[in-house]
Amino acid sequence: MHIAEGFLPPAHAVAWGVASAPFVVHGVRSLTREVKEHPESTLLLGASGAFTFVLSALKLPSVTGSCSHPTGTGLGAILFRPPIMVVLGTITLLFQALLLAHGGLTTLGANVFSMAIVGPWAGYAIYKLLRRFDVPLMVAVFFGAFLADLSTYCVTSVQLALAFPDPSSGFLGALGKFGSIFAVTQIPLAVSEGLLTVLVMRLLVQSSKGELTRLGVLLAKKQSRTETETEAVAR
Amino acid sequence: MLPIDAAAHSSRWRRRHPVDKAVLGLGLTVLAISLPPWPGAALVLVTSLAVLLGPAGVPARRLWRAYRVPLGFCVTGALTLLVQVGGPDGFVSLADEGPLRAGELLLRTSAASLGVLLFAFTTPMSDLLPRLVKAGVPAPVVDVALVTYRMSFLLLDSVRRIRQAQAARLGHTSRAAEWRSLAGLGATAFVRAFDRATRLQAGLAGRGYDGTLRVLVPEARVSVRFTAASCGLLAALAALTLVLERALP
Repeated sequence: MHIAEGFLPPAHAVAWGVASAPFVVHGVRSLTREVKEHPESTLLLGASGAFTFVLSALKLPSVTGSCSHPTGTGLGAILFRPPIMVVLGTITLLFQALLLAHGGLTTLGANVFSMAIVGPWAGYAIYKLLRRFDVPLMVAVFFGAFLADLSTYCVTSVQLALAFPDPSSGFLGALGKFGSIFAVTQIPLAVSEGLLTVLVMRLLVQSSKGELTRLGVLLAKKQSRTETETEAVAR
Repeated sequence: MLPIDAAAHSSRWRRRHPVDKAVLGLGLTVLAISLPPWPGAALVLVTSLAVLLGPAGVPARRLWRAYRVPLGFCVTGALTLLVQVGGPDGFVSLADEGPLRAGELLLRTSAASLGVLLFAFTTPMSDLLPRLVKAGVPAPVVDVALVTYRMSFLLLDSVRRIRQAQAARLGHTSRAAEWRSLAGLGATAFVRAFDRATRLQAGLAGRGYDGTLRVLVPEARVSVRFTAASCGLLAALAALTLVLERALP
């Protein structure tokens, strides 16, 4: 769930925008460097952005029986790395605000912070950590997507609790209020998104090994000694 | 094409410069969140509606279809302000000022949403994105956004067709089948996106692609009269709010 247009008071909207700015600037620099070194990356990055936009438009059946949308941030971060995902996420959130009336321009900073910064970084961190300990790829992908989704909604709860503290119990009461509402819907959804991401990744490993190797998700297969020797003789 | 963008392409204000519409639409949004909700946001809401349905010529039905989405989120969000946690009346009880705070929040969000919708319903993305370079956004980012924008429609169309094909093959009849279909949909979208990018790259390389995407942008000039009138309207709204705030209970 994106924070809707005008939902945050002006001071909060500006503060979250300021908090997001360094990450967005860092992402823009990474993307600009990538495009300057490899001009053809523009098209692949654009395709990745479109994929993220379409992924967030898919309807996800929830364990509770309801239906929602995946955030796509976990899969995006695993495939394209968090700095690039910050820019792609910001572009996606801008398109969602202007083309779907979903989210908003004044709340863009807050939504970018939760969905394009914290979600991808948290998901990517757990994914890399698990891979470092040789945990199977699909298990790491599940926890990456699960945590990316859940952390996004935890940050959104904090943002809402800061903006609307409870009249009686203040920030903590409001955090419990928003957090418990999200917990009912988002923990099943995070599990659903984790499962979906695993299924998508399994199909990608079967059908798009080349692209996944190029993106660094799969390691390039080392050439066997006999193959190398055969090539050398042929030359 | 998505409904809001399709409406923007056939808008009465399509030929106006995006800056003209940004001053008015986004100015109304800024006023909605900065002025006191009553009567400020209420005045902004009425003015935005009048401009959208009047001079901007946005069809009421299309506007309602787009507006009900943020309105739903606003109502859901505002409901949480009706209750409080802890206090003398029990663990969860009705908040004293709850209805007032929820009402103010509803006014503010619904007015702010209309301001952005005014901009979105009159400004196609294809007019806005190339001009962002002049606003200081790095050209590579704008290029990536342009490719994302144009490829999104193709991918959404592909996804719709794949869903139809899956439904025709009984891919949505059981929960397990639905999960399989959804995973296939996500993976196919990824493969198609990368396949299109590769083919686009090959086509552009044959035309001497040097890393920059040059697109034709319809010529438009910033209208001093329109912008001045918009600023006048915004100033009048702010002044009227201050006057009415003292006069009204």
